[in-house]
Amino acid sequence: MPEKLSNVLVKFYDEYMQSTPKKLKIVDAYLVYVFFTGVFQFVYCCLVGTFPFNSFLSGFISTVGSFVLGVCLRLQSNPQNKSEFSGISPERSFADFVFAHIILHLVVMNFIG
Amino acid sequence: MAKVLSVVVILAIAVLGQALTPSSFLTTQDQRRLQSVFEAAAPYTDAQSAQYSVLGLKLLGAAIPNAQDACKGLSKIIDGTNVASIYHASAAAKAIGNCKVDVPEFKKTLSDAIKEDSSVQDIAFAFLAQKNLGLPADDAAVSKALLAALKNDDSPASHGYAFLAASQLKGDISKFVDNVEDVIAQADEVDDKYLQFEGGLFVTSLVVDGAYKLAEKTKKAPTIAQDKVIKFTNYFMSRKHVHQLKSAYYFLSVIKTLSTNNFHVPVAVSLASPVAVTQADPSVKVRVTDLMGGSLGEMTVTAESARHLGDDAVVLSKKQFSVAASDKSLFELNFLNAKPAKGFYKLTINVAPKKADARLIGTSGAEVEVKVTTKISVENVEIGVADKDQTTAARTTKLVHPNKAASVLEADYHQKVIMKFQLKDKSSGQLMNAHQTFVRLTNLKTKQEIIFVTESDNTFTNKFDLDVGASAKDFASVSGKYSMELIVGDAVIENPFSWLLADISLTFPEGGEAKADALSQYAKKPEIKHKFNVPEKRPPATVSMAFTALVLSPIAILLILWLRIGVNISNFPLSLSAVGFHVCLGAIFGLYYCYWTQLNMFVTLRYLGILAIPTFLFGNRLLSGLASKRKTA
Repeated sequence: MPEKLSNVLVKFYDEYMQSTPKKLKIVDAYLVYVFFTGVFQFVYCCLVGTFPFNSFLSGFISTVGSFVLGVCLRLQSNPQNKSEFSGISPERSFADFVFAHIILHLVVMNFIG
Repeated sequence: MAKVLSVVVILAIAVLGQALTPSSFLTTQDQRRLQSVFEAAAPYTDAQSAQYSVLGLKLLGAAIPNAQDACKGLSKIIDGTNVASIYHASAAAKAIGNCKVDVPEFKKTLSDAIKEDSSVQDIAFAFLAQKNLGLPADDAAVSKALLAALKNDDSPASHGYAFLAASQLKGDISKFVDNVEDVIAQADEVDDKYLQFEGGLFVTSLVVDGAYKLAEKTKKAPTIAQDKVIKFTNYFMSRKHVHQLKSAYYFLSVIKTLSTNNFHVPVAVSLASPVAVTQADPSVKVRVTDLMGGSLGEMTVTAESARHLGDDAVVLSKKQFSVAASDKSLFELNFLNAKPAKGFYKLTINVAPKKADARLIGTSGAEVEVKVTTKISVENVEIGVADKDQTTAARTTKLVHPNKAASVLEADYHQKVIMKFQLKDKSSGQLMNAHQTFVRLTNLKTKQEIIFVTESDNTFTNKFDLDVGASAKDFASVSGKYSMELIVGDAVIENPFSWLLADISLTFPEGGEAKADALSQYAKKPEIKHKFNVPEKRPPATVSMAFTALVLSPIAILLILWLRIGVNISNFPLSLSAVGFHVCLGAIFGLYYCYWTQLNMFVTLRYLGILAIPTFLFGNRLLSGLASKRKTA
């Protein structure tokens, strides 16, 4: 069983490396980065404490928001989902992504204190 | 049937139980005060105050100061186009006598006012002014106009004016007389004791006065029930401290009418002696007068009953008052002959004129309240000190009022001070309780007073029991010499006293508690300073820095991943739009950093608005360029 699991993982990884477009890989890398940033903040909060709470919240919300926006970008620019988002070009989704980021971080900066 | 009857009986008793007879009249003082109200109005600046003042003084029988000057002044303050002004001035002039006011336009103004669409007040004033000035008046037209105007405005005040005018009208005035009953029915009853019209003293006086003036004219009693007259009277007398000129005049006018008319004259029964009936002054005096304080002739005054207010005991019935030698309207009765116990009594008094007089109303059931006081003596006074936990009787000393104990008592906190006394009613020889019995301990040095209440048991023995140790708090643990006083008082005790019983030396446990300074509660309190929320303890800088680095480290992951994926940076289009777009985005995030560190929201939004425009334009061009390139490729 364990080797089978590793087999699955290896196969999954190979499949991913071969069949995923480069653009989506870039977005996935971005998502990993955001994910770890959020995890580290959370670990800090668990170990040291939430004070100052608004700073922690704004940082964490920033990562969560960025992650969600990144996932949206990935969904919309994935060629496999073309039928779902037929009216939306990858450039359009990237523009939305940038615009949403600007708004999100304005709020985050307002809240960070 | 029996039920209905009993209800009726109960109601009848309830009505009879009400003392309605007026218990006050216009004393000389009241009349003098009213006179000063009228005199204060001079010199007159308007016709209205001139009339009220002059007529008021005349009603009081007082001289009008500078009558001729006032008369001359009238012509100046009169407004020939105003009906009310002419009326007031003419009435004043008539009252001054030998005084003529004349302005050419009078006649026209007055006769113009008598028409059906004028107000009742104007018609009445115009007609009365014509009468005052001796001008010819068309009585039939006035009567018609008044009745028509009353249809539009049937307020009590309007009817009052109509009554006044009708009392001067020739011809048939039965319609106005018929109105009296209806108008009186509109009065509001207050507390089952007063009747008044909306609008207060002025309107009520006007209506009642008008009704009686009208009755004088028709020589028939007005259709006002006697109890209503009395309730009106009670209302008037409750307002006898009136200060307003207009109300004062109408008030005085109606009181005068009520004491001189031929139909209803309310009798005022008022207490003329002090409320307290004592051995030295054992008689209850009542004054029986009309409302102006005038004598009503020879009367028989009987005390129907005297009821004790506490236990409802009736101490006398049907005792006749005797006429005082000095004053025929003053009647007296030696109340103590009935041997009343001390306390408050309500005397119910009936009056009857010797020569039958049907005008007098409110002759039965007048009530006055008196109290019978008594002297007391204090007996069986014992004072002593006993051990707290010892049950044997304490050794006590007997004291006799008003002597002070010869020796100083001493008590410490293991002991208690005991004091007993009884109060005796000197006149009846019975033991009694007083309303207020206190023991006051005064520190001879600091003059601080501590007051205790004594308690009485059912044998009328008052006891005072001071547990020295337990009451240390009351004394703030201040040991030393105290003077002990007994204070007794009551509303029915003639000789309340404060008796210095003894000096007493009290010893309290040492250092029981910090001595509270009596003045400390007035001393300056510590200043209140605002305190900001203390920030929580922050983690050491090394930990923070380590985590900052840790949080930033994923950037390295990002870069590594991107490099491994093989980001094609060389593909970066070096066009203006591409560079501008990235620069603008960078600028926006730079702006956010500034917002975090120094800017406020408004400045930030302004800059953001400025930056947004090029960013949008560049972004639009860049992305649409990329899109078109992708499509062609």
